Amino acid sequence: MPHHRLAPLSFLLLPLGLYLVWVIYPTFATMVLAFTNWDGISPSYDWVGFTNFERLFGDRVFWRSLANNVRWVAVFVTIPLALGLSLALALNRNVRFDRFLKIAYYLPMVLAFVVIGLVWAWIYHPRQGLINSTLFSLLSVAQSLGFDVNPAAARRIGWLGDPNLAMWSIIAAATWQHVGYVMILYLAGLKTVNTELLDAGQVDGASPWQLFRYVTFPQLAPVTTIVLVITVIQSLRAFDLVYVMTRGGPFNSSNVLANFMYIEAFMNYNMGYGAAIAVVLFLISVGFIAIYLYRVVQQEER
Amino acid sequence: MRRIVSISLTTLLVALLAWGAAQSGLLRYNSYMSDPAPRELDERIVELFMERYPDIRVEHSTVTHEDFKQALRTYLVASPPPDVLTWFAGERMRFFTRAGLIADITDVWTDNDWTDAYSAGAQAMSRDDGAFYFIPQSYYWWAVYYRTDIYEEVGLPIPETWDEFLANCRALDAAGYIPVTIGTRFRWPAGGWFDYLNMRVNGPDFHIRLLDGLESYESEEVRNTFAHWEQAIDAGCFIDNPSSYNWQEAAEFMVQREAGMYLMGQFIMDVVPEEEQAHFDFFRFPIIDPDMPIGEDAPTDGWFISANAANMENATLFAEFLGSREVAEMWARDLGRLVLRTDIDTSIYTDTQRKGAELLQSADYIAQFYDRDTPEELADRGMDAFVEFMANPGALDRILADLQREAERVFAARE
Repeated sequence: MPHHRLAPLSFLLLPLGLYLVWVIYPTFATMVLAFTNWDGISPSYDWVGFTNFERLFGDRVFWRSLANNVRWVAVFVTIPLALGLSLALALNRNVRFDRFLKIAYYLPMVLAFVVIGLVWAWIYHPRQGLINSTLFSLLSVAQSLGFDVNPAAARRIGWLGDPNLAMWSIIAAATWQHVGYVMILYLAGLKTVNTELLDAGQVDGASPWQLFRYVTFPQLAPVTTIVLVITVIQSLRAFDLVYVMTRGGPFNSSNVLANFMYIEAFMNYNMGYGAAIAVVLFLISVGFIAIYLYRVVQQEER
Repeated sequence: MRRIVSISLTTLLVALLAWGAAQSGLLRYNSYMSDPAPRELDERIVELFMERYPDIRVEHSTVTHEDFKQALRTYLVASPPPDVLTWFAGERMRFFTRAGLIADITDVWTDNDWTDAYSAGAQAMSRDDGAFYFIPQSYYWWAVYYRTDIYEEVGLPIPETWDEFLANCRALDAAGYIPVTIGTRFRWPAGGWFDYLNMRVNGPDFHIRLLDGLESYESEEVRNTFAHWEQAIDAGCFIDNPSSYNWQEAAEFMVQREAGMYLMGQFIMDVVPEEEQAHFDFFRFPIIDPDMPIGEDAPTDGWFISANAANMENATLFAEFLGSREVAEMWARDLGRLVLRTDIDTSIYTDTQRKGAELLQSADYIAQFYDRDTPEELADRGMDAFVEFMANPGALDRILADLQREAERVFAARE
């Protein structure tokens, strides 16, 4: 074999080997485990066929977690996307302090999820938290002005303790972090927008909305695809915030698949069942990735 | 260049190996004593041990209680695992003895005459299949803790019956206090409520049969237990949003003089500031059916040695020290726990400890705790069910049906 064809291969050997050991092998090992009843510590296990999957599809916690993941995706592909794009458009116009604002909005992205979870758990604390304390002060002012309100009611809102609020409260914290990321991606995208087309549109008398809708936004399409894919993947792998803020509670009302998997595998010693959850999560993710790859290939062919 | 790298790498390797060999006097101890008061005592015990055995260096790591419970399995399958670890006696210990991860320390028990020194109950909790695996540390009582100053101010009697208890809830509520605080973020405090209600309504015998999978969660008896729980909810007993708080945060409401009562283990006093302790007292969970024998929760804590401990000799020395009379007395004296050794003069007990010990002595049955008496995996679903019931009592039928299905699955898998 000629020397120049061997060289790249030798460079690839190490990363490929690592990839094989740390990604490919564990993926297949998990799939195998999903058909066992391994408890994570015993030296042996039995093959149980599809028992884990049968149990999974009859498990209310699974459906609840899946529904929460869907909620997460639904919120994530709308709100952070719209907010991030709006911020990017606003900050792209050389407004005053734009550097400072860009950094300020991007800063949450630098924080670890665990830190964000802890900080927001304090903000949401029913008694001493920022939100309820602020509400308490506002209601107290309203009461002193003669309105018929009870300030103590503010302290009763359990942002993370109320099963109807917990999931949305966590998603709100995640959104806060994600907006800055979307903004940065769009800011980079806006730099590639052809200004000549914008000028031409202006000359032709297009309104600002028309300029955005028919000139800018279509040119941002590649960025939008990336943002959507990242957003969906972020939503599916949501774990850290849930684990830190509620551990999926109260009674699984804020559980998501990744956290459910973690709890079953590492807390309840059901490695086989946990692996089955992981396989389902994997298949869902592969579905999205396949759609993405299909679209990318299609675009490139065009 | 390459030569230099390889030489320095080799040197480093040799140095590392030499260092490892020189560390034969090592002992790795992992502990869950993360609250300030127990942590301080835990550290003092380690220091005392190192004074006695200057050749042994103890590597002591403390992990928060909730995280420790989860990480324990990972610790035990690591190679090498930590040598000595804190844990719970009874079922929770036997889970790991069955997996072959806990060292048999029958020698330690016989060499130190612990079979004479420890109470029969403590011995049973430390055994599996006739062999000893556990070093008992101490035990403590569960009871309804209450603020004496609030009770005095509102003019309430100590409730002995369920109706008196509910009346106290209503009175405290009317006086603007939170009658009962409870923090169910990590769920287990709700398990305490289930234990007591079920034992008071159906008796400890039924309770243990249920937790062993011999009775159904959908039975009339269990429904009756939840009916009583619902009475307490309807009487406005409980704090709003209990799942927003962990148990320490919920205790804070009592410390701040906002809440009147808390069903908790004696360790609640670990987080009550000294200047507030005088306002805390406890009473037996009220009697519901006077014909039933009385069951109480009194969990036993302690330590074990990993089966694959790298420093087995040092671990054995440490185990002997931990199980000694001297250390047992420290837990009683400094943290107010109850001793499990029969050779300790109970005159070291304070009045509070004597009251707690009497509470347990007058009981007909001593349970450990919900998540220690039933398989852990089922306890996880059970405690979720209790927390959900507290938030949504109307869903009881579905909650119990789900729980019973899980129970059948867990116990069938154990066969």
